[in-house]
Amino acid sequence: MHMIKRMKKCLSGVLAMALTLGMAACGSGSDKAEDGSGSGSGNEAVTGSIVIYTSMYNDIIEDIKSELKKEFPNLDVEFFQGGTGTIQSKVAAEKDAGKLGCDILMVAEQSYGEELKEQGMLHPHIFPDADKLAFEYDKEGYWYPVRSLNMVLAYNPEKYKEDEVPHSMKDFAENEKYKGDLSMSDPLTSGSSYCTMVGLLDKYGDGYFKSLGHQNVTIESGANAVAKLETGEIRAAMILEESILKKREEESSPLTVIYPEDGSVPVPSPIMIVDEKYSANKNIQAAEVLQEYFLSPAGQKLIIKGWMYGVRTDMEEHPYDSKSLSEMLKNTIPVDYEKCLKQRDEIRALFQKEVSK
Amino acid sequence: MDKRSGFHFDVKWVFILLILAFLLVFLVFPLLYLLFRAFFADGSFSLDAVKRIYSYSLNWDCLRNTLITASLSMVFGVLIAFPLAWLVTRTNLYGRGFFRTLFLLTYMVPPYVGAMAWMRLLNPKVGTVNVVLKNLFGLSEAPFNIYTVGGMVWVLTTFYYPFAFILLCRALERMDPSLEEAARISGASPVKTLFTVTLPMMLPSIGSSAIMVFVAAASCYGIPSIIGAPGKLYTITTRISEYVATGTSQGLADATVLSVFLMVLSLVLLLLSNLLMGKKNRITISGKSMRPNIVDLRKWRIPLTILTSIFAIVIIVIPFLSVIATSFTQNMGKSVFAEGNLTVRFWQNVFTRSTILKSALNSLITATLAATLGMIICIIMAYLLKRTNMRGRKIPDFLISFGSGTPSVVIALALIMTMSGRFGLNLYNTMAILVIAYMIKYMMMGMQSTISGFSQIGPVLEEAAAVSGAGWLRRMKDVVIPMLLPSIVAGWFIIFIPSFYELTMSNLLYSEKTMTLGVELFRYQMNSSQQTAAALACCILLLVLILNLVMRKLTKGKVSI
Amino acid sequence: MSEIKLVQITKKYGKVDVLKGFTETFTDGEFITLLGPSGCGKTTMLRLIAGFERPTSGEIWLDEKPVSTDTVFLPPEERGLGMVFQSYAVWPHMNVFKNVAYPLKLRKLPKEEIREKVEHVLEIVNMQDLAERMPDELSGGQQQRVALARALVAEPGVLLLDEPLSNLDAKLRESMRREIKDLQKRLGISILYVTHDQSEALSMSDRVVVMNEGVIQQAGTPMEIFHQPANDFVDQFVGQVIRDQMADIESFSGVRG
Repeated sequence: MHMIKRMKKCLSGVLAMALTLGMAACGSGSDKAEDGSGSGSGNEAVTGSIVIYTSMYNDIIEDIKSELKKEFPNLDVEFFQGGTGTIQSKVAAEKDAGKLGCDILMVAEQSYGEELKEQGMLHPHIFPDADKLAFEYDKEGYWYPVRSLNMVLAYNPEKYKEDEVPHSMKDFAENEKYKGDLSMSDPLTSGSSYCTMVGLLDKYGDGYFKSLGHQNVTIESGANAVAKLETGEIRAAMILEESILKKREEESSPLTVIYPEDGSVPVPSPIMIVDEKYSANKNIQAAEVLQEYFLSPAGQKLIIKGWMYGVRTDMEEHPYDSKSLSEMLKNTIPVDYEKCLKQRDEIRALFQKEVSK
Repeated sequence: MDKRSGFHFDVKWVFILLILAFLLVFLVFPLLYLLFRAFFADGSFSLDAVKRIYSYSLNWDCLRNTLITASLSMVFGVLIAFPLAWLVTRTNLYGRGFFRTLFLLTYMVPPYVGAMAWMRLLNPKVGTVNVVLKNLFGLSEAPFNIYTVGGMVWVLTTFYYPFAFILLCRALERMDPSLEEAARISGASPVKTLFTVTLPMMLPSIGSSAIMVFVAAASCYGIPSIIGAPGKLYTITTRISEYVATGTSQGLADATVLSVFLMVLSLVLLLLSNLLMGKKNRITISGKSMRPNIVDLRKWRIPLTILTSIFAIVIIVIPFLSVIATSFTQNMGKSVFAEGNLTVRFWQNVFTRSTILKSALNSLITATLAATLGMIICIIMAYLLKRTNMRGRKIPDFLISFGSGTPSVVIALALIMTMSGRFGLNLYNTMAILVIAYMIKYMMMGMQSTISGFSQIGPVLEEAAAVSGAGWLRRMKDVVIPMLLPSIVAGWFIIFIPSFYELTMSNLLYSEKTMTLGVELFRYQMNSSQQTAAALACCILLLVLILNLVMRKLTKGKVSI
Repeated sequence: MSEIKLVQITKKYGKVDVLKGFTETFTDGEFITLLGPSGCGKTTMLRLIAGFERPTSGEIWLDEKPVSTDTVFLPPEERGLGMVFQSYAVWPHMNVFKNVAYPLKLRKLPKEEIREKVEHVLEIVNMQDLAERMPDELSGGQQQRVALARALVAEPGVLLLDEPLSNLDAKLRESMRREIKDLQKRLGISILYVTHDQSEALSMSDRVVVMNEGVIQQAGTPMEIFHQPANDFVDQFVGQVIRDQMADIESFSGVRG
């Protein structure tokens, strides 16, 4: 038995060595500061570590990381990426344990910002150009929108013709022609889906949920919906625009966005700095600098590159193959974020009753 | 067993106490804490959470669905596993060595990978298999619908029957052949022997494997989350995730209350099986090393081989081909064979990501640690259970089962709350917390394998060593462990493999430095790149197979799945 | 009634020749022992006769009927033999009665007849009071008798015994030897007995077949084997061993006396 144990240890030791050597040989290369850091004054002075929790796409995070390394060569930035629900539950558990694992949160939507603010977990930092923001923000500086998701409809023109799919949120729920062929995200686990439902509830009343229920909409993750759109198993999906744009850009996918005639639902997502007594690295100085960076044009460009809408009205750039921010904002369905927070349980229950069953 | 007068320093108690301490601190405490928070939300015992949860009829539906799907999976799982195990270990089926490894393939990839594959194959609208069959037979409607209870049971069964298969193969291989030969010479045909002698004697192992399949199926999240939604089949695990995803303490409490049901269920099952199996050791291994006799299938040899092959094709080959095809498909709307649709970019994705190697290494380390530490605990706890008469020796067994029945997400959250420094121990964001999480979740499987092994070996062998003067450690090293080795190895792999690709807990507990393959895989899936996820899944499978091969070569066939 | 004819039996396992051209005939009512050291092929021969393995070449005939030839192979359940295994192989999930009744149940005899026969054979082996016991409640010797009873209950023509007494203590072995011999005389059954124990072979058998390395060294009565060894091996393996044992006993009694 000792022989075998020894062998196992030996084996993992050998494998570990081999892999480490392999890694060293490949060289991660991300530590090369490519060109001079002329872009920020005193950026070398920003030091220490920062951990950011976010639900943004991986690829974006990679880009952001390398940009941040150039901008702040002495700052060590670590990301934890997960779904909104994952991050929220992690934060809740960490709070229970007394300390969060992060210094900055870039996740969910503004009612979460409100919630954390109420719990005294955030650190305020005023953003001087707040008047340039297209969305609501916390006047005391506890949270600002840093990116905007956009709930739209989508279909696959290679599988269904344009007149075979819904063109408005109302049509999505009410037209029986589409029964059983639709997909949407679960508002119980997806913040953006939940806010969308609140917006639609306000616009069309409780009947909207009832209609959705009759439509036999499949409630599943956006990723599954995208897969089914591609194979044609689903006719149309209520989905975040970014999922479609990503596919279009990276894989030349035929999936196409339908901007609902009755308005898309933009869901701005906040950036929040964790209060010192909860934060992981207690590096408030760096956190503030990073918040500024993400809200600056440079940071916003990265966000837009990641198929999300920026939040500044003074920028022309827009995500791949989509509208400019001002264009998009012309036709939207508003969301009452206070209602999102205060009536969460009732709305969840209503959805479960009418749609989930 | 050891009756000594007066106080004697018995080294085995040191081990036992150490392990009990470990279990208490890392398994019992986090879960108890969670329960405490759920039932004592305001400092006093309150069943509010319970009332709240169980007033939703949706939750009752979930309970029912979970019980039904898990039970059916258990039944079918064993029904599949036993004949296959028998054919592969006890008969002269053609290619049985090959089949032995082939039938294990499904549990070497995360179950949801299989769920996605079957969804592509069997969805009623555009599922590949359905389309092919419709065209072939001119049917008006698709013959199969994966979004049903049947569909879910199908996927659960095909992914969890290997637990039973592994255990039963081991048990059958170690059975004393003269027991079957005695039946043959008494006039029983091979089939008669199978039913009147082999099967009854395998009952303890069958029982153990049935429990394992049930618990695995009941606490599975990946499969119901994908297959359940379209047919509105919700299970406890998907409901729990919804509660957790509210991100509030109340949500967590509610999730805990629901989890209690699952935890209790696995305990009840354990009790039940203990009752049924009784204390009887079905001692089926004598001291001699014996080759199990091979049943000559004679005129049934070819038909059964064909049948087994068909089985293998349906259960294993088809879904894996789907996964492989997906990994090479540019546009999922078209067949991989359509023009211009074949691509290697997703494989390139996998191999050029700088984090992949590190994640693979992390997975290897954490899984190896979890399996090794886990098996040490299992061996000693199983010894305690089967070879001593200590009062309360069943408790560790229950504790271990308790952990395995708990949904992964709940385990992870419990660990976050208790192991991040609040109670003096901070393991957060380390590999240690991952290892602990895997152990809590998967140790039961290793335990069942070890117990099954102990059942087959009589105490005589160890007693012989004791008589020759060997102390407890010596006896363990020289007699017990070598005799148990096949079960130990089986148990090791049963813990290693799911730990290697685990994603639910890793997803909550990882940090950049401790990222695992499971998390990578999950991310690709969630970021809508199922092709890259498929490629990564293939890599994971290959890694596991290579590991198995290497271990087999190194130990000359002794240590392998 | 129960003649076993073995014609040029060879058995190869891979490259190893375990049996090389074994030819013998065992006639009705004989107590034959295959005697030899480990690895000589005696157990293999027994298993070939039982039908658990096929000979590489050669023929086995039972009662003028071919059971194993180039064209015919009868599986064990169709050969009508009785066998007692070294490990007893008493089934742990059945009690004594059910163990012994098993061969009769297979033959679909009526319940009453089964009970009669089982009780009868249990009496013969002196286990009639323990019919309800489970095997894990029995001692080694008792399990052995159950195995014996089970092998006899269907009244086979030949009883095969594979080192049945080697797991028992010396005293028990002695008494079991006598019992088995008695049994054979009473029932008039043929016995094919395998052992490595020289005195066991000589004291029980009508004829002894001494084997080494897959080849028959000598076949004859115990007296012939002892007094007229055909070659050095037989002399060393049988004669010398017995002589040593006798010398031990003499010197022992010499000391005492």
